Amino acid sequence: MIQGLQQMKDSISMNEIITTYEPDNSLKKGYLSIFGQIFLELKQNRWLTYQLFKRDFLSSYKQSFLGVLWAIILPLFTIAIFIGLNRSGILNIGDIGAPYSIYALLGMAFWQFFSTGLVACSNSLVNAGPMILKINFSKKSLVIAAAGKAIVPFIIQIMMVFILFVGYGKTPSISGLLVPVFIIPLILFTIGLGFFTALLNAVIRDIGNIISILLTFMLFFTPVLYAKPRFGVLATITKHNPLYYLVSTPRDLALKGLVLEWKGFLIVCFISILLFIGCLFVFHLTETRVAERI
Amino acid sequence: MDKETVISVENVSKKYCKSLKRSMYYGAMDIGRNMIGMSSKSSRLRKDEFWALNDISFEVKRGETLGIIGPNGAGKTTLLKMLNGIFWPDRGKITVRGRVGALIEVGAGFHPLLTGRENIYINAAILGMTKKEVDEKLDNIVEFAEIGDFINSPVKFYSSGMFVRLGFSVAVHCEPDILLVDEILAVGDIDFQNKCLTKISEIQENASIIIISHNMNTIKLMCDRCLFLFKGNQKGLGNVSDILNIYSKTTFNISDSKGYRSEHIEIDVLDENNLNTNNLIVNKKYHFTFTLKQLFINKGLLISFSFLNLTNNYNHRIEITKYLHLTNMINNVSFNISFKHLTLPPGEYTIRIAISDGDFLKRIYYAERTILFSVMEVENNKFLNYAIS
Repeated sequence: MIQGLQQMKDSISMNEIITTYEPDNSLKKGYLSIFGQIFLELKQNRWLTYQLFKRDFLSSYKQSFLGVLWAIILPLFTIAIFIGLNRSGILNIGDIGAPYSIYALLGMAFWQFFSTGLVACSNSLVNAGPMILKINFSKKSLVIAAAGKAIVPFIIQIMMVFILFVGYGKTPSISGLLVPVFIIPLILFTIGLGFFTALLNAVIRDIGNIISILLTFMLFFTPVLYAKPRFGVLATITKHNPLYYLVSTPRDLALKGLVLEWKGFLIVCFISILLFIGCLFVFHLTETRVAERI
Repeated sequence: MDKETVISVENVSKKYCKSLKRSMYYGAMDIGRNMIGMSSKSSRLRKDEFWALNDISFEVKRGETLGIIGPNGAGKTTLLKMLNGIFWPDRGKITVRGRVGALIEVGAGFHPLLTGRENIYINAAILGMTKKEVDEKLDNIVEFAEIGDFINSPVKFYSSGMFVRLGFSVAVHCEPDILLVDEILAVGDIDFQNKCLTKISEIQENASIIIISHNMNTIKLMCDRCLFLFKGNQKGLGNVSDILNIYSKTTFNISDSKGYRSEHIEIDVLDENNLNTNNLIVNKKYHFTFTLKQLFINKGLLISFSFLNLTNNYNHRIEITKYLHLTNMINNVSFNISFKHLTLPPGEYTIRIAISDGDFLKRIYYAERTILFSVMEVENNKFLNYAIS
């Protein structure tokens, strides 16, 4: 009996995690161990991440009659403006080889995944400020959960695209089933950048505003609602714009069934992975400083 | 750190910045330095920075309860937040063994639009519980909070009492190895407060607890040892009654105050030999002398004063209407309040006084912290006269 108790005590103390807090903790522990820590933290906090996502999701549509429908209304307006500009001849959309509304809505679905996700991530730490000051929990979960805000509108928009396909009497390409795989780089790019902007925005609030302006600006400089330009400055910009590859590759796959620019896409995939890992790493090193500056 | 020590704090300091713009700049600098793998050199002070906590060291053993006391701005909450890992020390080292639960603010993270049930899951996840734990404890949490049918209504329709009860209930069902409590035992009505105290005593059996409180009765009741912080410095650590003594002496300056003098009022406490004193003993004979000076009264002099116990929130108010006939210029009018047997509970006291004109609400003079004195019990002179048989 006593021995049993002793064993129980031992096993309890064996399982106890020892945490240390001191300045420049990561520097002292060595950089290599950090990757293990990050992975463990993300794994342990899956349920927390889901709960935080649920909190955002439930609360943003609760006190509203149209609810989730707002996710479709806003992009429809943007597309309507482009259709108007196209018909009146102000803007030349170019050769897209598909009904424009499908092309535009699909493009907007991917674009909005990026822009909604990035804005939500950037504001995640700031919005949770009071909570961060009172409870110690994984801030990475907070950022990832915020990116989840982009998922539901994305799914609704994809469903709209299906309805349009049926409406036009067309069938999407069978390779379109691979789209979920081809948007992984987009997800990594969004969350990776989101980690970085969340951190900066927590300390310097100007960042949030700058991001909103840049996103509006970028939408017009990325061939989301028009075809890839062949000549001129815009063509050069497009060639070096990672967002172009992230948006157009899954769209080409759905519409035409093939990837047109493998080289560019692979480079951007690589960039996205590096960006995600790099920013997650930076976030881990500096998140302990967030609470005192928020 | 040996096995029985669950918290060890070694020479810990924390600095804050007074200016917001500089704080942003320093924050960006520190983050930048950490990012590229440089030390943030946090042990130096830059312009507009100050040490909010300076060189704090203590240990907490398994199963022990430590109280933290000190006036506002002493750094108590900062210390608690560092133990929880919300803030990181700028100097020194904190080592914690086991799962930490913090009751720094109840209901932090509750979303007003979500129902009580939804909020329980979210709050519990934030506090570090797993889904399985919450599923198992959900009924207990709801029952403890005494919410009833409201559990499926949005939290924004809750009364503030219900809100706090739910928050507290989630937090105490966390079963941490170390519980940090920041002055939240004062939530809800008296019945709920008692329930909270009972629950915390239950937790005490299996966990170490650190409690911040301004109520010295709570500290005496719950703590094995006590840490006294004053303006960011550690002024004492040890046995509760010793530390409470140092606390009263440092915070209230009782030893060097005999009598109170101001432009309009003077107060003295005299013992049975008519000597000025500030160390009073329960049940002995004292009189308090009040002298009013340079006061102009139109309708009639009214005096009211309260004995305020600085250590446990007790206060008692006395109104004097006897001088209502006095009007015009009042100068050097003295009166005595005599106690044959002083019946104040032991503690450190001050007197708050107000002079009114014709109506107690029309104050013409008011003084908050006048004379300071302490009341003690001695053998045969207890506050409550009782016999044990």
